[in-house]
Amino acid sequence: MSDVERLLAEYKDVHRSGGDADPSPFLARTSGVEREQLATLIDAYLERASRREFDAGALRDSPAAAVADSAQRTLAGSAGLWPVLLPRLRNQARIKRADLVAELAARLGAQSQQDKVAAYYHEMEQGLLPASGVSDTVLEALGKIVGYGRQALRSAGQMPAPGGPPPDAGAVYARTTRLGAPADRLAVEGSREPEQWDEVDRLFRAG
Amino acid sequence: MAGFQELPEHRLTALSDDQLIDYMRRAREAGRHDAMKLPVGVLVYGYWDSLVNRARLKLPSADAENVAGEAVASAIASAFDGRSIGEFRSWLHTILSRRIADHLESRKRKPRTTQLPSEHEGEEDVWGSEPAVEFEGEALFARECLQRAYDEIDDPRHRQVIDLYVLGAHAAADTANRVGDGMTETNVHQISSRFQRRFKGLLAGGNTSE
Repeated sequence: MSDVERLLAEYKDVHRSGGDADPSPFLARTSGVEREQLATLIDAYLERASRREFDAGALRDSPAAAVADSAQRTLAGSAGLWPVLLPRLRNQARIKRADLVAELAARLGAQSQQDKVAAYYHEMEQGLLPASGVSDTVLEALGKIVGYGRQALRSAGQMPAPGGPPPDAGAVYARTTRLGAPADRLAVEGSREPEQWDEVDRLFRAG
Repeated sequence: MAGFQELPEHRLTALSDDQLIDYMRRAREAGRHDAMKLPVGVLVYGYWDSLVNRARLKLPSADAENVAGEAVASAIASAFDGRSIGEFRSWLHTILSRRIADHLESRKRKPRTTQLPSEHEGEEDVWGSEPAVEFEGEALFARECLQRAYDEIDDPRHRQVIDLYVLGAHAAADTANRVGDGMTETNVHQISSRFQRRFKGLLAGGNTSE
């Protein structure tokens, strides 16, 4: 048995046992063509791996829990993939949320209403703000900050297509208020009629 | 709610991927968004390790989790819309491969030049180490070599050995039993080693059969 065969067998054992199957330490034990060979075999093996048996406790302790939450918000919300995509783009661009909001407010000429911009951005990440209402101006500004195209952001916000009745308003409000003050404030302001909207409201809600 | 009946965990976890997606679709149509939480968790948890570790082969660990998260959510969303192709697992990995390629491309194309003053000063380790495999082009070539080595196998029983033992999760003895027809554990190891040598030869630039 070659070194690659032995390492692949060891890797599969770790993966099957449910341990942390990071391939890096296994690859570090090879070099050159053998490293490439092992990486490709692990890749092909993982691609064929069956769905792991569900374990609610293990999910709670895993980074997958946050992903499952955002995926659920994607399916249940009205902002498509934004709950998944926006935090990822922010991380990828290495920007803290507070800094992103400050830059977004500046680009929208709304420095004096940074709290309101923060609240709207929070709702975008939570999937609570209808994507269709967010203007191209906002998406253009946001795209420049995180390095992503306006149209791609728009498309992500439309997927999956909205469907089914929304959860009752009380449920949304209860969830929103647990998440912090900015959303609280927005929930209150959200009851205002469109004729009362200011420029920031229109940018995030009027399309 | 008419047309939708919530299932307990033990019944949900026994459903196939497609059945889970159908269940979520019906829950959503019925306005039962709370009932989507568990099936989403089953799918995300079920594939999380495979997705993240595939991504780790090409990306730093922190990026790998972000890309895997986006891939699984995109795959579920598109399956939800009826826009997926083929079986869910295969679709999921196709999306992951695209997201990894996009991510590598965006890193090459758009290095962030304007740093914000408060941008994670002294926190560079937050973003992880360099990827295990640097160039996507090399990985594509390696996959082509693997496919070619596989396609060169004429005997369908030998291909089954590669599927079950080399690229699958079965032990050699179990593989021999499943293939049957006189296949032994020793045969399985020999077929595997021959395949690995051929694959390595192709990777190293050799173009001749053994």
